[in-house]
Amino acid sequence: MTVGQASLPYSRSAVKGRSKSHALFPWLLMAPSVLLVLLVTVLPIVQAVSLSLRETFFLEQGQFIGADHYKRFFADPSGHRNIVTTLVFAAGSIALTFPLAIGLALLLSRDFPGRAVVRTLLILPWVVSQLLGALMWQWVLSPNIGAIAYWLGKFVGGRVDILGTTNTAMAGMIVANVWRTYPYAMILTLAAIVTVPQDLYEAAKVDGANARQRFFSITFPLIRPTLLIALIILTVNAINMIELPLILTGGGPIDVTDLLGLRVYREAFVLQNFGFASAIAIVMFGMNALMSIAYIRVLRSEA
Amino acid sequence: MRVRNTGLTGVRRSLPYAALVIACAFALIPIYWTLNTSLKLEGDIGAYPPKWIPDPPTIEHYVNIVRSSSLPRNYMNSIILAIGTILLVLVLGVHAGYAAARFEFRGKNAILFLMLSTVMIPGIVTLIPQYFLAVQLGLYDRFIALFLVFGAWQVPTVVWIMSGFFRSIPRELDESSLVDGSNRIGAFYRVIMPLSWPGIASAAIVVFVWVWNEFIIALNLTASQSTRPLTVGVFFFVGETGIEWGKMTAAAIVGLIPVIVAFIFLQRRFVSGLTAGAMKG
Repeated sequence: MTVGQASLPYSRSAVKGRSKSHALFPWLLMAPSVLLVLLVTVLPIVQAVSLSLRETFFLEQGQFIGADHYKRFFADPSGHRNIVTTLVFAAGSIALTFPLAIGLALLLSRDFPGRAVVRTLLILPWVVSQLLGALMWQWVLSPNIGAIAYWLGKFVGGRVDILGTTNTAMAGMIVANVWRTYPYAMILTLAAIVTVPQDLYEAAKVDGANARQRFFSITFPLIRPTLLIALIILTVNAINMIELPLILTGGGPIDVTDLLGLRVYREAFVLQNFGFASAIAIVMFGMNALMSIAYIRVLRSEA
Repeated sequence: MRVRNTGLTGVRRSLPYAALVIACAFALIPIYWTLNTSLKLEGDIGAYPPKWIPDPPTIEHYVNIVRSSSLPRNYMNSIILAIGTILLVLVLGVHAGYAAARFEFRGKNAILFLMLSTVMIPGIVTLIPQYFLAVQLGLYDRFIALFLVFGAWQVPTVVWIMSGFFRSIPRELDESSLVDGSNRIGAFYRVIMPLSWPGIASAAIVVFVWVWNEFIIALNLTASQSTRPLTVGVFFFVGETGIEWGKMTAAAIVGLIPVIVAFIFLQRRFVSGLTAGAMKG
């Protein structure tokens, strides 16, 4: 009796101590990563919001001015321009990337000689940096030395300056973006297609479904969650684009390719209007947040 | 009728191949054209019609940039940045990934959610305050600032890749080693870590490619050739070189080689790391 009573508090505290160290141990493992992200990524966002509400003069922060920077951005036609060009760029990129990526993934999901080599070649643009990809497209479209500019010139007769012409600059920039991003959508789609059970196709064949019906009634519903994830990641990627307009067009001709990202970059690091630039960056962040919410909804509904 | 049918199926059969050939051409033209230009004599580069192969080929542009540009220095800086960032994010991310995979504790999901959602933040939003901070703390134009910023961007990806990998290792292995008398961290280092090299390699290659290719952050947190990585070096080199296409294209090819080589040899790891971030299981 006495032994039992004496042992009870002892074993209880042992259990308690154990569960406590249990809770502490994973936190210790997590803490350095969490701290790094909090200090270097999350805290600066708070500061960006604060900067966007203040007068700034180079690196000095002045008085609180409320939403003035935002009002100025939205009241200005150039602000509308930035938003429209960004949406056109993102929509154009997505509209070209996905049919291309899904088509190629379907082709690559079949077995044929040389498939591994073809797959490697098709993924290659994804490992090329944004900067080098932009430079390469500048050269290949250059009326002075470019192969594609030469072919297009033969086709229409005369010299062609895609990136220097108002009507075609955005199209050139979209193609350059599609070139670098379709492999990502293609790899994800391919990975999803491979997981579709083969007997579903067999059953559909027995029922007399043709290839198109099989795609739309079996493959597409099953790869849809993956497609949505790729869709949102690549949309965010397009909304945040800086390198392509910076290298290819500088935002021109006039302002037809002046994307939001380039505007933020210019206001901040060229003109040193850090407060105003922060406000535009927060607007950009808002556009991304909308996409992120969609991304998380997809992940949740999948779980 | 019969002949026509086989003819038609013949065309239909070869259509996918034709599509793949065209797609490969699309993928390779910008890279091939850059390589082609970099191997041409200066006088041949602007020829009309263009020369499809360098004839005669020359390596003079490569010799030029190695001898008399800051690109070799930028190259070294990129290697330093890649190694430093990889070490930092692996040490942090492997431990956090293990905690995420093996333990249930209060706030875990919120923390993981917070970390992963940083992937959606446009880099330029945080870059402005990071620039302020770097200047104020005296870290501007020093590697340490880039290690920290690159690390903060890449740690969530590594945690994600590694926790997925640890989940594929049976829990019984941890438990049996605990029975043998190891403590938890000992069990992790002695039993789980040695099994984790494929996951660690996947994470490392994804981080390597990201750091090697990063441009905008490095452009704005560095000011001198002693810290500028290759992307920034190439950007300024191209800006200063103007129309010396041979030198500029050679610089681009030199910058491309490490990622292409890493990708071709480690393609499976790279693809699994890439898809781990977006696919469940």
